[in-house]
Amino acid sequence: MRVLECPLRLINFVGRFSPPVFVQTEIAAAKRCLTRASLLLATMFSVAISTGCNAGDRGLLNSEVRRLDPSVLAPFPFTFSLDRLGLFFLVLILAVALPVLIFSVSYVSRHYTPARQKWLWALLLLFIASMVGVVAASSGFAFLVAWEIMSLTSAGLILLEGSSGERRHNLFIYLLMTHAGTAAVIASFLVFLPHSHTLDFTALRAAGATLPHGARIALFLLAFVGFGTKAGIIPLHLWLPRAHPIAPSPVSALMSGVMLKIAVYGFVRFAFDFLPGGPAWFGYLVLIAGAVSGLLGVLYALAVHDLKRLLAYSSIENIGIIYMGLGAALIFTAHDARTWAALALAGALVHSLNHALFKSLLFLGSGAIADSTHTVDLEKLGGLQRRMPVTGSVFLIGCCSIMGLPLFNGFIGEWMILRSFIGGSTLVNTNAQLVLPLMVGVLALIGGLAAACFVRVYGVAFLGRPRSAEAENAHASPRAMRVGTVMLASACMAMGVWPGIFLRPIVSLAQSLVRAADAPPETLMISHVIPWVAAAFILLLGGTALLKRVKRQARTWACGLPGLTSRMQYTSNSITKPVRFVFARVYKADRTLQMLPEDRPYFPASISYHSERTTSYERSLYRPFVDGVMAAANQLRRLQTGNIQVYLLYIVLTLVLLLLYLRFAG
Amino acid sequence: MGILETTAGKVLSSYSVFLFLTVLAQAAVRRFSTSVFLFGLQSAIIAIQVAVIGYHEKLVEAYIVAALIVVLKVLGIPYAFFRLIEKLHAPREVKTSTSAAESVFIAVGIICLSYAAVRSYASGVQAPEDGLAASVALILTGAFLMVSRKRALMQMIGLLVLENGIFLAALTTTFGMPLVIEIGIFFDVLMGLFLMGLFVFRIRDTFDHMDVSKLRKLRG
Amino acid sequence: MKIALGILQMVLLVMGAPLLRGIVGRLKALLQRRQGASVWRPYSDLWKLLHKEDLTPPSASFVFGLAPLLVFAASILVTAFIPLLADSALLGSAGDFILMVYLLAFGRFFLALGGIDGGSAFGGMGASREVLVSCLAEAPLLLGLVAVAIQSSSVSIVGMAGWALGQSFFNISAVHLLAFLALAIVALAETGRMPVDNPTTHLELTMIHEGMVLEYSGPNLALIEWASAIKLSAIIGLLIAIFAPWGMAVASSPAGIGLALVVLLAKTFAILVALAVIESAIAKLRMYAVPDFLGVAAAISTLAVILTALMKR
Repeated sequence: MRVLECPLRLINFVGRFSPPVFVQTEIAAAKRCLTRASLLLATMFSVAISTGCNAGDRGLLNSEVRRLDPSVLAPFPFTFSLDRLGLFFLVLILAVALPVLIFSVSYVSRHYTPARQKWLWALLLLFIASMVGVVAASSGFAFLVAWEIMSLTSAGLILLEGSSGERRHNLFIYLLMTHAGTAAVIASFLVFLPHSHTLDFTALRAAGATLPHGARIALFLLAFVGFGTKAGIIPLHLWLPRAHPIAPSPVSALMSGVMLKIAVYGFVRFAFDFLPGGPAWFGYLVLIAGAVSGLLGVLYALAVHDLKRLLAYSSIENIGIIYMGLGAALIFTAHDARTWAALALAGALVHSLNHALFKSLLFLGSGAIADSTHTVDLEKLGGLQRRMPVTGSVFLIGCCSIMGLPLFNGFIGEWMILRSFIGGSTLVNTNAQLVLPLMVGVLALIGGLAAACFVRVYGVAFLGRPRSAEAENAHASPRAMRVGTVMLASACMAMGVWPGIFLRPIVSLAQSLVRAADAPPETLMISHVIPWVAAAFILLLGGTALLKRVKRQARTWACGLPGLTSRMQYTSNSITKPVRFVFARVYKADRTLQMLPEDRPYFPASISYHSERTTSYERSLYRPFVDGVMAAANQLRRLQTGNIQVYLLYIVLTLVLLLLYLRFAG
Repeated sequence: MGILETTAGKVLSSYSVFLFLTVLAQAAVRRFSTSVFLFGLQSAIIAIQVAVIGYHEKLVEAYIVAALIVVLKVLGIPYAFFRLIEKLHAPREVKTSTSAAESVFIAVGIICLSYAAVRSYASGVQAPEDGLAASVALILTGAFLMVSRKRALMQMIGLLVLENGIFLAALTTTFGMPLVIEIGIFFDVLMGLFLMGLFVFRIRDTFDHMDVSKLRKLRG
Repeated sequence: MKIALGILQMVLLVMGAPLLRGIVGRLKALLQRRQGASVWRPYSDLWKLLHKEDLTPPSASFVFGLAPLLVFAASILVTAFIPLLADSALLGSAGDFILMVYLLAFGRFFLALGGIDGGSAFGGMGASREVLVSCLAEAPLLLGLVAVAIQSSSVSIVGMAGWALGQSFFNISAVHLLAFLALAIVALAETGRMPVDNPTTHLELTMIHEGMVLEYSGPNLALIEWASAIKLSAIIGLLIAIFAPWGMAVASSPAGIGLALVVLLAKTFAILVALAVIESAIAKLRMYAVPDFLGVAAAISTLAVILTALMKR
């Protein structure tokens, strides 16, 4: 259908111009003395975008594959090809990267010294190019190289923001965990090797059809842990709330919006493409992990008032929702209900795309706030809507989308996942008939808590009165920053009001991944209903807005006091206090209350109160693990005596053992 | 006659629903008098069930048993409880160790557990699965009430609910027991209640309250 | 014909909403042995408010003025999903209950934002309590409707009503009974009635819904009050349609529709009497006892969903 190709043509159109756009940036950058290396990278990147856009013109609706084989350049098996799954994620990357780059043009020039800017642009473009490389890779080697470049460039970008002691500690944890995850991913590729003999994706696909049961289980678990660490599934999420807040805002947007989805891409590639037809407990594992991440992610988000940390926890929550959809799809394929599986998988993919858009919008918004008020602490903001009207409006659109309100894009993915859960009731006489409908309740609770969280975020930051002098003196953002955010916001609204433009390609992609015969009818229904609802809504709004009214300004009622100060408003912590009180068992806060002088408790001269929340995983899961590893390392240290004769003895002993082995086992 | 037939059939197949509702309500209530009223309601439902079985199977003894249940458990025991509450000047609220929502969730778990336990058994024996699940649920609820309520009176009610469940289980599996055994069971229950009532008075006179959680102070 | 019927149903719900509020108020007054206001009083209140000035705090943003419009539009859209007189509604077969529930959430979200925008402490208080109640009420609402949907094999309210129409009154389904209990509790929370929230209180510390709208006046307040009345009538209509739809016209003849209207009024009056009795008999719950109350509803609706798989009805 022509109308479905509209957005693809739009991307193509933009793509045709992107080389000139980036040449422009390059010229402007050259005026600021960028090095040749970053110019080269920028050119590579614009080539990548144009290729992607030209591929997008034809690729999504049929399964054409383009192959690029630069292995003539190097002796390693590098191959790149774009099939439909890769193409979907490529569109996701580019749809987010373009507005973020436009935003960064202004943000970077205002916040960094020219020397740092060179590095920042270079690393940023390399970051995006590496993510394109991951989704375009069609051999394990290319995948892993691009994956590693992605992790390292993001670490470099975090380092560019500053390198104080605490930042270095958080960066170290980020690198540690991402490499642990990468190790699991490498291991999963290696487990394939005896069965497929090369790491080419077609060979892996063929081998996956005939794997022995034990290897299949090991592969699935390794892929789950590896990609789960990168995606931020609880309890492997520890790096997320440490790394995302300390990165520059455009980089946070890319990390949260796109990099997490690359991990989802990896998992989908493994679970649905390479290892189809696993037992049902694979799906239950993913479903439960998703549910736990969703609930705990949003509960932790409710407890923080640093805006970027909050958004990081909210990303964990949304990844949880995506994994719930993936888990449901795996359960449905195990029970051979392929149409429902297509619905669940399509819902997860749609939610990935939507989350990429609105999360990056929210992060860019927080960057604009930081640029204007030099703080992202919610307790110091307030009244920003009147001072930054465009930023406030797009932030409102982002909040509405993340809450899953209808007529915004976040609703579509959640709706599809909910419908697939209800469809689980058709699998009679299985556990899924009980579990899947109950997951509707869990998802509803997650959605309700997310609503609580984001009412608080937008209300405290943008509405009411400013709570500090910085917020009082906030000014509107520069034009490039506004343009970037407005692009993302209009995408959110357009996709929310007219879901049909992107649903059919994604649903047919999901169908091909789970080998379903026909498309789920629900998607057709939602594409028809939502535009009508939107039209009726706008009609009603317009009608009521036409009421003739007389307006007057009058001060807020202050109970007879001379006036209200900004301290009399509800703060971010107080709005969420009732919810946090109800869920108090989740937050085990360490509270110390000290009243001085201590011998006269009823007449204190000073009171100090300190409350700190450390997540229980660090205490009960990671600390014992780390202690065990350190203890084992201490024991192993005894091997290192420093005596050279002992080392020679080790070599001789190894030789003797090998000889004995040859003699008795050979 | 036709209406009576259909009503009898309906009661036979749907009484377990109402028993489940009383199970949920018992878990959630916060007042003694409501708890006692719910116990009376449960016994009334069981009495109706016995009468309907008597009507279906044409057993005269079933009507006698139903009348006994009504006299003793629907009218007698609740009346005795109300008199006891008045004489003891006991506080009206039920002290629990779990909140109302948690108790109802545990009651939901009990109902699922009873279905799971009964599923394999009921297909072998020709017994209605719903009735058997309701009886197991009543037994487990009685036990749960005794565990989670802190006042001695509530634990008595828990025991009575448990006994209701045992009676219902016997009823569903055998479609009525011989009259003599029924009367024997009734007298056992009455004896137990008299003794418990005596003890409650003694506890109250000695300690001035009936909160069994405070019995821990007797520990050496 | 179907479209005309759908629009008639919407008009009934929207225009009749203040009357329902008036009837409940009058019944409560009778129960409390007071004179009470006339049942047409809410209409004259709305008329008076629409002719007053719109007062806006100087520190408020555009959200303050936009919120009442959005809440009103969302409430009206919700009424398009509910069949009253016949087995069809304007968005009946196309719209499902998830969309309807999330449209209700849309209205609640913007009302909370409007409360915070007023800049007073009471608005923030009302907003913080409102998000507590709504985040805990959403799970039992969706679960209860899911149980009914699975039982009736249909996700639209029209489909659920159609299935229930086909059953006889004496075939009480356990799932429907439990779902009705859970949805009744959630309905009290969603519409801001006792024991969750007192709609007639003037003490700010006990307000949830009233706290959020404390700064509004004039046409803004009229729209918000009307929207909240529409929500009450929509939820009553929803409960009647799903659990007791007998009397609905099967063929759309004028005689059938007339009979259906009479039966509908009788059923609505019965529910209003029950609501008035509940409101007069039960005291308002303490703020932190409301999560417990909603937790009971969540447990009951969980059981309803589990029973769809376990019981063979």
